[in-house]
Amino acid sequence: MANLDLSRRSFLKASVIAGVSVYIAPIGGKAFAALFEDKILTPIKWDSKDGKAKFRIDGMAKVTGGKVFARDVRARDMPHWPDQQSHAFILRATQADRSYEGFDLSLLGEELQPDRVVTAEDLVRDGVKFPAFYGEDMLLPKGKTPAYLGHAVAILIYHEFAKFRFAKDTLKFHNEIIRYGAVTGPLERDPWGTFRFVRIGGATPYDGDEFSSLKNAPVFPNMMRKHQPVWPDGVEHGKLGEQGMFYADKIQDELDHPSADWLVFDREYNTQSIDTAALEPDNANCWYDADNQALHMIVPSQGPLEVVESATEMIAAAKARFPVKQLFVHPCFTVGYGSKDHYNVPYYGLVCALYGDGKPVRFANDRYEQFQTSIKRHAFKMHYRIAVDRKTGLLQAFKGDFEANGGGRANFSPSVAMVGATAAQSVYYFPKSDLATVAIASRAIDAGSARGYGTLQSMAATEMAVDEIAEKLGMDPIDFRLKNVLKSGMKNTQGAIPAGAIRADEVMEKAKAHPIWANRAKQKAEFEAKHPGQRYGVGFACVQKDFGTGAESSFAKVEIAEDGTISLWHTGAEIGTGMSTSQALAVQKWLGKPAGDAHFGVTDWTDLPVVTSGNPYLMSQAEQDKVSANPRWSPAYASPASATNSAFYFTHSTREAARVVFMQGLWPAAMAIWTQGIGGGQASPLVVRVEDARWVDGKLSAGGLEALPFERLVKKAHELGLVTGAIVHVFNRWRWSEADFEVTGKPVRLPIDGLSVKYGSGAKPADKAKMSTKGGYHVLDRKKVYIPDVQMNNAAVTYYSAVGTLVELAVHEASGKVEVLNHHSIMECGSQLSPQLVSGQLQGGVAMGIGHALHEFLPLYEDGPGNGTWNFNRYHLPRAKDVAVWQQTGEVLPPVTETDPPKGIAEVVMIPVVGAIVNGIAHAIGHRFTDLPVTPEKIQEVLA
Amino acid sequence: MSIANKPLSMTINGKAVGPLNVPDGLMMIDFLHEYVALTGSRLGCGQGVCRACVAILDNPDGTSEEIRTCITGAHFFQGKKVRTIEGHAKLNEKGEVVELSQIQQKFLEHYSFQCGYCTPGFVNAATVLVEKLKRQPVDKDQVEETITEALNDHICRCTGYVRYYEAVKDVVMNTPGLVKGSK
Repeated sequence: MANLDLSRRSFLKASVIAGVSVYIAPIGGKAFAALFEDKILTPIKWDSKDGKAKFRIDGMAKVTGGKVFARDVRARDMPHWPDQQSHAFILRATQADRSYEGFDLSLLGEELQPDRVVTAEDLVRDGVKFPAFYGEDMLLPKGKTPAYLGHAVAILIYHEFAKFRFAKDTLKFHNEIIRYGAVTGPLERDPWGTFRFVRIGGATPYDGDEFSSLKNAPVFPNMMRKHQPVWPDGVEHGKLGEQGMFYADKIQDELDHPSADWLVFDREYNTQSIDTAALEPDNANCWYDADNQALHMIVPSQGPLEVVESATEMIAAAKARFPVKQLFVHPCFTVGYGSKDHYNVPYYGLVCALYGDGKPVRFANDRYEQFQTSIKRHAFKMHYRIAVDRKTGLLQAFKGDFEANGGGRANFSPSVAMVGATAAQSVYYFPKSDLATVAIASRAIDAGSARGYGTLQSMAATEMAVDEIAEKLGMDPIDFRLKNVLKSGMKNTQGAIPAGAIRADEVMEKAKAHPIWANRAKQKAEFEAKHPGQRYGVGFACVQKDFGTGAESSFAKVEIAEDGTISLWHTGAEIGTGMSTSQALAVQKWLGKPAGDAHFGVTDWTDLPVVTSGNPYLMSQAEQDKVSANPRWSPAYASPASATNSAFYFTHSTREAARVVFMQGLWPAAMAIWTQGIGGGQASPLVVRVEDARWVDGKLSAGGLEALPFERLVKKAHELGLVTGAIVHVFNRWRWSEADFEVTGKPVRLPIDGLSVKYGSGAKPADKAKMSTKGGYHVLDRKKVYIPDVQMNNAAVTYYSAVGTLVELAVHEASGKVEVLNHHSIMECGSQLSPQLVSGQLQGGVAMGIGHALHEFLPLYEDGPGNGTWNFNRYHLPRAKDVAVWQQTGEVLPPVTETDPPKGIAEVVMIPVVGAIVNGIAHAIGHRFTDLPVTPEKIQEVLA
Repeated sequence: MSIANKPLSMTINGKAVGPLNVPDGLMMIDFLHEYVALTGSRLGCGQGVCRACVAILDNPDGTSEEIRTCITGAHFFQGKKVRTIEGHAKLNEKGEVVELSQIQQKFLEHYSFQCGYCTPGFVNAATVLVEKLKRQPVDKDQVEETITEALNDHICRCTGYVRYYEAVKDVVMNTPGLVKGSK
């Protein structure tokens, strides 16, 4: 074993939490590069003419089979770890209606017995338990009923790979090794969360609301009775909740007793549980070095900071038995589609290490285990009642009841249920709405922040409903949509006005004119004549997906070195979406070229000491006002990476950091050059404004001035001691926090809440003295901060991007098989950071949506993946033949102007295709399905 | 049960490996990962369905074929020649990549992959296809169908396949001799 040499390895010391020094060596960082021969990130290759990257900066490592994933790493790869790698797997209960009474390993014989068995008794004795977020019974004690199928009961650790391999194979599918006692029935628990959003709009969509969540408040239940929410009684002038229920009752009454002009549409929709099927199964490789009281964790995570915080919480609870003074976390590039955000595998990995007899222990799911345990997309039951005026074709009221099956542990289920309900209006304006949602606890596997996050479920249903309503009214489905489309400035079902231009109408107009739609009747006749036994259909759906969580935060640091190198550090982690590439590109808006040196998943921000406290969603305005007096406080520290938060939210911090460097460094440097000489130099005869600044071919010009090469500007900025580095912290609660700062003696208001700057090498001694952090930064305490009021939490969402998808399909009458012949998507996403990445997200999202609509299905309970027998042989992921790989097309609406911010699209792209397929099937065979997926068996039943 | 070890030798990426003492019944993917430290062949399903683990078996007659290392025993490869993802690019003495294979280069240029977990399987499958087309070129109008048949079993969850397929088509259409009539 090599000695641990902190200085040589240059680990980044992030912080001291609860007495534990936390060190981070992010993949792509210098410390990590020192651990591995292969660098993951290569400098970005780009075309200076069009500003596009030639390939992903993580591409070289990925295409050559480099060690990119945590799963690829073994103890021998870590220079300071022991070479010997131990391995672990977990025994799980596959029945959740009876008490667990132990296990029997006699099948293993003598030779394959584990070196160490860890049970709940060990954990209780040693004070080891899950971080609070994950709930109780990390390993189930004897005598208790499993909370869910697949509940972990014991960890088996092996110090020799071959023994591990053959033992695991021997026990595979032998669920009888778990012993059970009395039948108790499944656990009955209160829901994980429940919410209700009631809105009665004003006279027009632009007038003030009579009642809404934003104006007033969401409605919460008074109590739970038999595990169901009990809502307040409606009282017109009562408490806020009572008022909300008064209006909810009014909507109900109108739907029950509609006017003669109203069509009241009533449907129940069901959508299934699915596995995100991230191809990298969950894993962790951890080492507890008792001699040095150090814990090392190699983990794939979409939120490395969450791992740090939660691991520290665990360590603190177990410190008497397992003292830890140093925690080393190595976040890696990963993929999860949400299922590696706040998931419990890192903490099982941590436990393996604690009981690993001083050896590093690798815990890596195989695919059966991955199906059995990984975070699932919520199954939803939805009951929609929608009123529409037959004469005008305008939607009048929407009452929706949503039940999300959250499974055995809460995870993000309350939030997913809420987001599903608030997204249900999709692209339409409803004058009145009452959306009640509940996330239930069940014995199913935990569901969490899987891609779509509730919105795939509710918006796909809305698109099925709207299409059917149009048919009932005898209207063209796109014309009906256009009549009711939410336009810029109208309110959502929470009473908030969505941000900026809402362009769903443009998407619909384009779809209406597209040949797939315009020629569908003719195509149907021709296709069916040519293909006896097949029924042709065209379907359309259009949705807009919110993006963000209402507490989005991140750090970014941008520096320009004297040699012209642009470096970027960011809290965001790469999860496959290409954010590392897009963020490297994002700085070029201000600096004229991309960052050549970039680091992600960074958690060391001691150069900008931001602190946080309280819950950003639940805190009172008074509390926020009080704590925000601390100039270094923010409502949130750093968000995990999700498919949809990099383009908008992460780009904001990246660009604001770059903008500070430009405005306080490069621009004044340019002015110094342009104004030098007699009479004010070349700038004197001209009007010079910063808003005229433009980068052309790596040179900066403005208003007719000499174009100055980037390198010359950088040199000048350093020479003059101007700002050459900036770290920003940002927070967004449906709008950005802003703050007043004084930078180089001048007041400036910026859409950030924390700022540190670094001055160039020629800085005056007084400025250099201010650069007192370990990284040489000057922390600029803000003078005043403007954090979005806590009331904005009730807005739930304000940022949207719209996508519409047309699908051509054929239904094979004999087999019931649906063949996707072609599809075309129209997307609105602001300004694209990287068109290649955007189109790749669209293509991948559509494929995932096709899987959801037609192929992917997991039973929730005993027959489902909790029994440990599910794999890709019976869970069909779409293949190329399923997605019209050669035929499909897509287009992106041009931005309104080039100043449009980029928008998050990685989730919305997968949603419309789901509704479009179901609507296309209706066009093909005249039957409207309401349960997903639409399988060949279901179609055969209808056609029989 | 008892673990019975046997000596195993093979050629991996042009280099002789072994003899190593390897348990009978161990799968090739475990051998690659745990015995020779080649982790680029990825475990996806462990049942031969997803093809993330595919390597290339070089036959004595000069032909090549895909082989699923998650369901093929390591001892099957006794005396055989195998290529893994780590063997495609040319490296310098320091182990740095100096030249990618044609398929790797085009995957990079086309932004073919996202998370990259399945990429080794696609590189190997596409490489086998190109080598087959060198022996048996197809008509131009059969190129798309040929690519689909060759790659359809490979699962990718991120990309929707389009950019993988376009990249392979780029290689096939622009490499002399892969399409009938092209030189």
